[in-house]
Amino acid sequence: MARNPRTPRVRETSGDAPAVQLPPAALEIKGLAKSYGDAPALDPVDLRIEHGDRVALIGHNGSGKTTMLRIVTGLLDATEGTSTICGNATGSLAARAAVSYVADQPSFYDDLTLWEHLEYVARLHGNADWEQQAADLLGHLGLYDRADDLPNRFSRGLKQKAALAIGFIRPFEVLIVDEPFVGLDSAGKEALLELLAQASEDGATVLVATHELSFVHTVNRIVALRDGRLVYDGAATGIDVDRLVRSEDPAGEHDGEAH
Amino acid sequence: MTTDASIGLDALRSMRTDRRKRRVQDMEWFETLYRVYLAALIGGSGIVFLSSLVKDQPFTTSQFDTLRLDGPRYVGLVMAVVWFLGMRSGANGGPVNVEEAEVRHVLLAPVDRAKVLRHPAVQRMRTLAYTGLLAGAAAGLMIGKRAPKDWGWGRQEWVILGAAGGAMIGASFIIAALLVHSSRVNRSLVTFVATALVAWQGAAAFHHSHPWAPFTAFGRLALSSVNGVDFVSYAVLAVLAVIAVHQAGQLRVEALARRSALVSQLKFAVTLQDIRTVVLLRRQLSQEHMREKPWFKIPALLRKDPVISRCLHSLAHFPLRRIARMALLAATAAIAQVAVWRGTTPALVVSGLAMFMMGLDIVEPLSQEVDRPDRTDSLPVERGLLHAKHLVVPAIATIPFVVIGGVVAYLAEPHPMTIVAGALVGLPAALGGLCGAVINTIKGAPDPLSEANAGLYMPPEVSGMTTVIRAVWPPIVSIFGSTSLAVLRSAVDRGESALGSMVRGALGVGMLCFLVAGWVRQRDAIRAWFRNATRPQNLNSNSTSPTGQKA
Repeated sequence: MARNPRTPRVRETSGDAPAVQLPPAALEIKGLAKSYGDAPALDPVDLRIEHGDRVALIGHNGSGKTTMLRIVTGLLDATEGTSTICGNATGSLAARAAVSYVADQPSFYDDLTLWEHLEYVARLHGNADWEQQAADLLGHLGLYDRADDLPNRFSRGLKQKAALAIGFIRPFEVLIVDEPFVGLDSAGKEALLELLAQASEDGATVLVATHELSFVHTVNRIVALRDGRLVYDGAATGIDVDRLVRSEDPAGEHDGEAH
Repeated sequence: MTTDASIGLDALRSMRTDRRKRRVQDMEWFETLYRVYLAALIGGSGIVFLSSLVKDQPFTTSQFDTLRLDGPRYVGLVMAVVWFLGMRSGANGGPVNVEEAEVRHVLLAPVDRAKVLRHPAVQRMRTLAYTGLLAGAAAGLMIGKRAPKDWGWGRQEWVILGAAGGAMIGASFIIAALLVHSSRVNRSLVTFVATALVAWQGAAAFHHSHPWAPFTAFGRLALSSVNGVDFVSYAVLAVLAVIAVHQAGQLRVEALARRSALVSQLKFAVTLQDIRTVVLLRRQLSQEHMREKPWFKIPALLRKDPVISRCLHSLAHFPLRRIARMALLAATAAIAQVAVWRGTTPALVVSGLAMFMMGLDIVEPLSQEVDRPDRTDSLPVERGLLHAKHLVVPAIATIPFVVIGGVVAYLAEPHPMTIVAGALVGLPAALGGLCGAVINTIKGAPDPLSEANAGLYMPPEVSGMTTVIRAVWPPIVSIFGSTSLAVLRSAVDRGESALGSMVRGALGVGMLCFLVAGWVRQRDAIRAWFRNATRPQNLNSNSTSPTGQKA
């Protein structure tokens, strides 16, 4: 599934030269922007993530990471631009079937246990053989003994693990996770890294908003946002993440594409 | 991976059924019955009280004819206002509220959203239709009691038609909101259209030519003067209701996600009678943000005092919507005061409540300070003095709205005396509203852990009544501020001096303002004194700490 991290682009053509037709990307964003009233949260962003890519989305607080992820998962409406998941418009039935989103703030029903959450979400997505998978997931995340408890009463870290279990119980082609390492203990981080690696091995596209170096070092591509602008999109090798987020010209001598 | 929407729907249905069963199983029946008992007790008392305000003398023939001729246009105006509110709610992301988890797990799943959202949409429509039905039935009953006996209709007919009209009006709110929300129309356009509808129906009600207006037919239904063409209007409403529910799948996930968290907080704040939190959450729901660029610059002279300067800065950032709302409330109060002058005394409640709501907006600088007690306590200034100084600018800021109210009152009652009354009655009414809002802000939500409540070992009826009184007395203070005109009318009826009466009324409200300002200034001292006075003597004089030191 490895690919050149530099995204090929459709060039403007003239005369009789045919336009380069690319197959649908796992995630494609064109001129995506969001503003709240007069306050811009995300300037127009173009991004194409191919199937099987393993991408870290980085940026300081308020850089627009969560806004971008929420738009591509259909939780927020874009002010401008479009986004597609596997060639389907964000929010469409097919896009919703393809993308699994684990938000930075977990959200659970008050009256359902963790096991019941897993059953519900799995069945909503037509996953009939969910039970063994759920047991494996809970065991992997160290939540097996808490399966019959209400996740709304969990601690921050346990809630995070429960949200991850729910995110992984359903089938997906694209996995989008927002700040998943926050609140996790070292065992939880380890388990999550293994789950993310497994998802990649299974051919899923993985996009994670994080600064967690243990994950960033495993990705094949980094996308960086600053003040709502895409400032870097390129290879992960040899990148100083802190510098990338802070400096004015993060691409520097690296060969990534700044937009 | 499934894209067959029906698979998820099966899971959704079975989970909803399971959850409903579990809720019924987990229900505390005794507590539920007790709530019903309390609601019946309070509701019944309210109905008995309101019924006593309505006299039972039958209408004269001319009164009855006027009611049937003009009444439908006024009822239509009520419906137009309901449409206005519904359309605004839809533009702000209403009216459907779903759990936050439902947004994340169900609306982001490959399930037909229309089928997920129709259920809560119909539930809300049913609730409001039922509320309208009850209100319409009660109004029908009151009319039926007073309708001439020879007209041929019994009370049942009036109740049934009133209920039908009320149900349609209630359901209209949800229909309008769903249509606007699902069609994703620009908010400014929605406000324009909604205002135009109200103006149109208002023209039908108040203009001498009484033009045709879309909502009059529903008033005619409630007041039993239906004509054949009106059935077209009812059919149109029914079609719109079907379209609105059908379009539920087009509701914006962003709005549902935003509301899901806020509405649950709002409900919690309402149960605590925490009006300040309700106001803040309502502003968030309608996305009412402070203006970044101030309306005006603060002159250097006024910047010398930090509190005055801070209050002016706050007012300078008020959003246009809030200012417009305050102007509308001032106009509403003025119209209510005109109604009081013309003999409808209960309209002073409307005036007082409108002024109270305006006060809640205008007292924002003080509310901001009260919301952050830690910061206030860290300042080298006595809290009472700081809070009292926060009253000056809001009190002065009421003046432009008094002027707006005066202009509206003059348009409704074009008489030179209206201008004098506008000043001598309008200002006290606005200050009375401010006083109520200040009391509400300073006292905040009832604290169930406070000393006063901890000592309450009273029956729940008494305890509940204490809570209710605590919640309602700020609006009562505001209503008191609006009584000047009723005093004036009473004096004029008795042949006393109008001006003298107005001045007496204004002085009474002035005294109220003085007392409230004094209470704000000395509240901590009063509480300390009261605690000392009520503390048992042995604790007061002989208490010792665990280390043996005298307290």
